[in-house]
Amino acid sequence: MSALIEISNLTRRFGGLVAVDGVSTSVAPGELVGLIGPNGAGKTTLFNLISGFTRPTSGTVRFKGEPIDRLKPHAIAARGLARTFQNLRIFPNMSVFDNVSVGAVGAIGQSALQAVFGRGARRDEITARTFAALDRVGLTDRAGELAANLSYGKRKYLEIARALAMKPDLLILDEPAAGLDDSETAELARFIRELNREGLAIMLVEHDMNLVMSITTRVVVLSSGRKIADDAPAVVRADPAVLEAYLGVEA
Amino acid sequence: MSDLRRLPLVPLALVVVVFGAVPWVLTLFGKGYFFQVADLILIFVLLSASLHLVTGVAGLLHLGHAAFYGIGAYVAALMGTELKLGFLWGLPAGGLAAAVLALIVALPTMRLVSIYFAVATLAIGQMIHTVLLNWVAVTKGPNGVMLFSGIRLFDIPVKGPLAVYFVVAVVVALSIVAIHRLGHSYYGNALRSLREDDQCADAMGVDTVRLKIEVFTLSAFFAGLAGGLWAYTTGYVSPQDFNFSNSILILAMVVVGGLGSLPGAIVGAVLLILLPEVLRGFGDLRNVIVGLVMFGSILFLPKGLIGEVSALALVRRHFVRPKGEVAGREVGW
Amino acid sequence: MSIDPYYLQQLAIGLSQGVIYALMAIGFTLIFGVLNVVNFAHGEIYTLGAFVGLLVIATFAPPLVVVLLLVAAVGALFGVGLERIAFKPFRRFSDEASLKSRAMRESTLMSSLAVSIVVREALEIGFGSQMQTMPFEAMINKPIALGPVTIVTGDVIIFAVAVVMLVALQWLLTRTRVGLAIRAVSANPLGAKYVGIDTDRTIVTTFAVGSMMGAAAGLLVGLYYGSIFPAMGFVPGIKAFVAMVMGGLSSIPGAVICALLLGLSEGLATTFVSSNWADMVAYGFLVVTLIFFPQGLFGAGRERV
Repeated sequence: MSALIEISNLTRRFGGLVAVDGVSTSVAPGELVGLIGPNGAGKTTLFNLISGFTRPTSGTVRFKGEPIDRLKPHAIAARGLARTFQNLRIFPNMSVFDNVSVGAVGAIGQSALQAVFGRGARRDEITARTFAALDRVGLTDRAGELAANLSYGKRKYLEIARALAMKPDLLILDEPAAGLDDSETAELARFIRELNREGLAIMLVEHDMNLVMSITTRVVVLSSGRKIADDAPAVVRADPAVLEAYLGVEA
Repeated sequence: MSDLRRLPLVPLALVVVVFGAVPWVLTLFGKGYFFQVADLILIFVLLSASLHLVTGVAGLLHLGHAAFYGIGAYVAALMGTELKLGFLWGLPAGGLAAAVLALIVALPTMRLVSIYFAVATLAIGQMIHTVLLNWVAVTKGPNGVMLFSGIRLFDIPVKGPLAVYFVVAVVVALSIVAIHRLGHSYYGNALRSLREDDQCADAMGVDTVRLKIEVFTLSAFFAGLAGGLWAYTTGYVSPQDFNFSNSILILAMVVVGGLGSLPGAIVGAVLLILLPEVLRGFGDLRNVIVGLVMFGSILFLPKGLIGEVSALALVRRHFVRPKGEVAGREVGW
Repeated sequence: MSIDPYYLQQLAIGLSQGVIYALMAIGFTLIFGVLNVVNFAHGEIYTLGAFVGLLVIATFAPPLVVVLLLVAAVGALFGVGLERIAFKPFRRFSDEASLKSRAMRESTLMSSLAVSIVVREALEIGFGSQMQTMPFEAMINKPIALGPVTIVTGDVIIFAVAVVMLVALQWLLTRTRVGLAIRAVSANPLGAKYVGIDTDRTIVTTFAVGSMMGAAAGLLVGLYYGSIFPAMGFVPGIKAFVAMVMGGLSSIPGAVICALLLGLSEGLATTFVSSNWADMVAYGFLVVTLIFFPQGLFGAGRERV
């Protein structure tokens, strides 16, 4: 089986700064890969490159065998790559249900004419998917509430539900545990692992080392835009280069 | 089990009012003037509702809506006078012409964001207005176009203010139903996501630029229909009815009513047309009132009279889904 | 090689028109820079300047300099009033980054629009929507022959005033504490607040200075053409807006250059088409700039996310 996503020699420069420098890695179907590195290592830039929000200076990204590095974000999303954002971006003035439905509409599509005239199978499928995603994160009973009224922790799950409604093949999570307390983080870790066990490939940027080390099957380490390690958590944890870069003075 | 909650009470009440109570009361007064005001209100309800799609639902500040209204009016009027094609041709043609023009201008401009978008729509509106005013060979310039033919439905002339009122009401009501369905559908949710966070919507697979172009075009179509109605009810179109002030008037209706809420847009239109008429005794204060009401509502009612949020609360009350039921009727929201 | 004097004349007319747009654009850009908000009522400040000028001249006919100073002072007052009415109420959350937030920008855009409507309509109720003529003696349209081209005293005066204003503004912005505060708030309102700058006062000051220039521009244009009317501010307001956007939004020199370009292009355009169509030039410029140079002709590109 070939890789689900294959990143080769990906580079992005901002003026003189090389944010991502010749990074190559891949994620196989069903993998749960962690992406770590000190602040400014280029993790979020790498995510933006993969999801189409930033164009690479050079290098390629292939998703399910096809190049996606020149596509717009919505086209990449439509191919089955969902992402969340670092600082929690929900649609605050829409209901929880409506928030999640956007993910399903984005993936399935509904035209203006269908909206005016149709009942249609698409509509039912969007509804079913939305409820499935809500059920998956346990927000069904709050479906009618305004998203802005959810607690911070619940909003995290809302954002994930919205991505799940897209039925993605690869889910990339940008610092999902940021701002959560220990017990919330542990619960989220369990949830992410469950999703992965159900067969969803996940890529995860995270500061919380414990979270990454405990749930991932493989860890990629970036430092100053370069990949310095790419191995099983236990191996990475012992890698002197990682210790030096990531833990700095402690090494 | 059919329960009462599922009866569409509000739409039913509206139908009774628009098609029953209002014409009955107006006939009692028996004055053409009152019917003119009623027609005007209906036309602006349609304009306000169409702008609501772009500005309220999709969150794009559109400062040139009146120009597309003008295109519809001129196309309908000129088809009547130059081509002798009547109401049933002119009305849809007006809508389509406005939509086509909107599509053409939207293709390059819909990538723009926030204030740049607003300024671009202002410029487009002004350009269209300049053309209406100065392309004398076609539009008759500042003199405007007189349309004497009146409404005919399949060779039957629609005579008298009551009959005209009913024609206008039917067109507006059907359009409102369409706009309501556009807004309250998954398509509408995608539009709302543009308003909330268009980048994030992009990451959800929503083609934001395409959707903006679509909603801009659809909105212009309904504005064009309103223009056709205006041309046929007043029998006269002139450029000054489609200038910047009118764009602002329509925007004020949407803002006063509450951004994102269709009932709000309708109430805003009724209020801003009716209020100056009621206060007519104090001189022509229409625009001052528009300005004051708009200012007051931005300051004191940031959510408008019937804001999206309270509209949502309304939905919530109706949003009952027994556990386990699949795809109930209301969830199509 | 000789150029048809007709074109030179049109160039001169275009240039003087450009200087007028520049006068408007300076104030407009200054106010935009400090809060990132579009002040839709700037055109009405211009109109008010012209009407105040008319009243002053009609009542006691002082020399031009006195009228100009008086109008500028009143313009500053209007600016303060405008800020208090249409902008201040929407800065309720001055502690947050909401100082430049989207919600604040959009509500002030609409509130300034609402104020501009009220002012314009109130003027129409007070004076009628028809042209008011300036007293003939006060007008600045005495011809001056410059070789093949004829200009009028107004061209010289407007040009001189524009130069003086630009120099004074540069001095204010770069050499005084007030200017330092304005630049600080413009660059980073929160940061400015943290280092102890009174952002509120700075914003009011900016509105006063910008409106002063807008009112002076209105007066000069009124005296130049000899007639004023309540809706006169709309078109120059749009042109100033266009110049600002073309110049890259927050660059005053950029806005001035673009205003001159705009005036020149319109002047030249009227040699080919009727002057009724000249407005299309500005709108066309605007749309083209927005589409092809979204950061303005002099702005640097930047990426979102």
